[in-house]
Amino acid sequence: MNRKSFVSSLLIAGTGLPAFGRQPSDEEKDLEANSIIPHYLKEGDTIGITSPAGYITEREIQPAILQIQSWGLRVKIGSSIGKRDYTFGGTDEERRTDFQQLLDDPTVKAILCARGGYGFVRLIDQLDFSALKSHPKWIIGFSDITVLHAHLNRTIGIASIHSKMCNSFPDDWSKAEPIQIETILSIRDALKGKRMQYNAPLNEKNRFGVAEGMLVGGNLKTLESLAGSKSDLRTTNKILFVEDTGEYLYSIDRMFWNLKRSGKLDQLAGLIVGGFKIKASEDAAEEFGKNLYEIVMEKISGYKYPVCFDFPVGHQKNNFALKCGVSHRLQVTKNETTLTEIQ
Amino acid sequence: MKTPPYLQKGDIIGITCPAGYMAKEKAQSCITVLQQWGYEVLVGKTLGSKSKTYFSGTDEERLIEFQAMLDAPEVKAILCGRGGYGVGRIIDHLDFTAFKKNPKWIIGFSDITILHAHINRNFKIATLHSSMAAAFNDGGYKNKYVQSIKAALEGAKASYTCKPHSLNHTGKAKAELVGGNLALIAHLIGSKSDYQTKGKILFLEDVGEQHYNIDRMMHQLKRSGKLNDLAALIIGGFTDMQDTERSFGKNVYQLIHELLSDYKYPVCFGFPVSHGKENLALKVGGSYQLTVTSDAVALIEQ
Repeated sequence: MNRKSFVSSLLIAGTGLPAFGRQPSDEEKDLEANSIIPHYLKEGDTIGITSPAGYITEREIQPAILQIQSWGLRVKIGSSIGKRDYTFGGTDEERRTDFQQLLDDPTVKAILCARGGYGFVRLIDQLDFSALKSHPKWIIGFSDITVLHAHLNRTIGIASIHSKMCNSFPDDWSKAEPIQIETILSIRDALKGKRMQYNAPLNEKNRFGVAEGMLVGGNLKTLESLAGSKSDLRTTNKILFVEDTGEYLYSIDRMFWNLKRSGKLDQLAGLIVGGFKIKASEDAAEEFGKNLYEIVMEKISGYKYPVCFDFPVGHQKNNFALKCGVSHRLQVTKNETTLTEIQ
Repeated sequence: MKTPPYLQKGDIIGITCPAGYMAKEKAQSCITVLQQWGYEVLVGKTLGSKSKTYFSGTDEERLIEFQAMLDAPEVKAILCGRGGYGVGRIIDHLDFTAFKKNPKWIIGFSDITILHAHINRNFKIATLHSSMAAAFNDGGYKNKYVQSIKAALEGAKASYTCKPHSLNHTGKAKAELVGGNLALIAHLIGSKSDYQTKGKILFLEDVGEQHYNIDRMMHQLKRSGKLNDLAALIIGGFTDMQDTERSFGKNVYQLIHELLSDYKYPVCFGFPVSHGKENLALKVGGSYQLTVTSDAVALIEQ
């Protein structure tokens, strides 16, 4: 075997591989270029709270209710709150009915998912989004709710808010840490129409550059599980953010291969890597041998777009509200990393 | 669909580890038994390598060895020593030109599902989904599951049966067989190694997953259209399943069964294809007839 030519082919392979995946139709391109921005909230508007995935009690959402009321907003507690069907916030039908009612209720101006867990994908194809299309409203959440962010971006073109949920509101606001207060208030700011701007800590692994594009993303495992479906996120010319929790390094590696091999990394405007809580291998001898930075960078070494690590989004305290489907500018320099909403 | 030539006495079987590390002594029974079956064994350097990581070698080392075995005309079959994780890191760098001209049997399961799917999708050459080297240990080579590898390589047509299961959908289907590890099949969706399942018999197995994750992966298969137009579905073993602290509320067979209510094709549960001992050799790309009645299940190779 000609080892030399073999190795050189290995080195350029990252750039040479064609993207795999269907090209968007004109309608899809149009939808992607022009997300609908729901009306921002004003004093006296109502937020509906629902649990489309895991179950939560009414008591557990009290801190969120009090805080939201202090923003001058009203709260409507959905019928799935307090319901339980094993791990779920009610049966599929109960969760679907609640979510549908909040989608259809014209007095509800935003829907806050109380928590994630698992379960949204079991409802998504049974939901009717026609009322949402005619009367767009903000939908708020992350983790399992990534299913909805991706679905809305791909199929309807409505902006949504990726942020903490009810289960992350501090029980006692007066004793909350500054980062908890800042992140929760970022939800309020996003809902009230403030132009969002965030800084990320410097990381020597960052790749410098400036990008402008629609911000999309969410939980990496959830994004992978949507591949091939009608909710599958399209990433061309967009700024993609990803985060995950409780995954082994090999699994994170495999998920980034899925992004790459399904053509989601080759035409990005920029890449934002949020928090990744890595599950340690049970057997120390089974060392994976690559860290998160190496896993990410080897997939995108053939591309030029900016990349930042440690962005404050993820299953962690520093998880700020991000507007999915809205244009942003990502600036990664040796001095600072900023993500700014373009209005 | 092309079927690689069946093996003759004296043919060479290469053993390589394209994914996780395996100590050589763990494959010694396999090597000895393959020799007793009348084959010569070419042991790759990735088996029992000096690697200190999870992998049996660097990406390049694993790739070079697999490529060399694909290209060497005298190697008539490639048995993967074990699975684990790693084929996905080298699949796009493998050159199948020589393999396409002179097909040979690629043998393994679990992470090796990537090779089965990639070869099925792109080259229409049959491969062998079966247990790997460790299954030969502790007298395992005598059981019918390891013996089914021998029969398959010799060209015997498989005729398998399994116990009926209360969730089975009865019916009969004759079609091409595809399948493997659910997590890998889901992971490949959207890539160029993605199985096309229309009109085919699909088999699935998995190990060590959370119930909710099996549910999520099955929803992905369904939502990406992989379950719509099957000829039949074979659900193998789902071993070492874990439930969350807040229970999912259904076992794996129940949650799969629930997703299939719209479909009329035959389905059998508990077929002996799994990460356990019960793992019959199946030809991905082979033609089979599945018959599911209320009191019997038979999978007959055509």
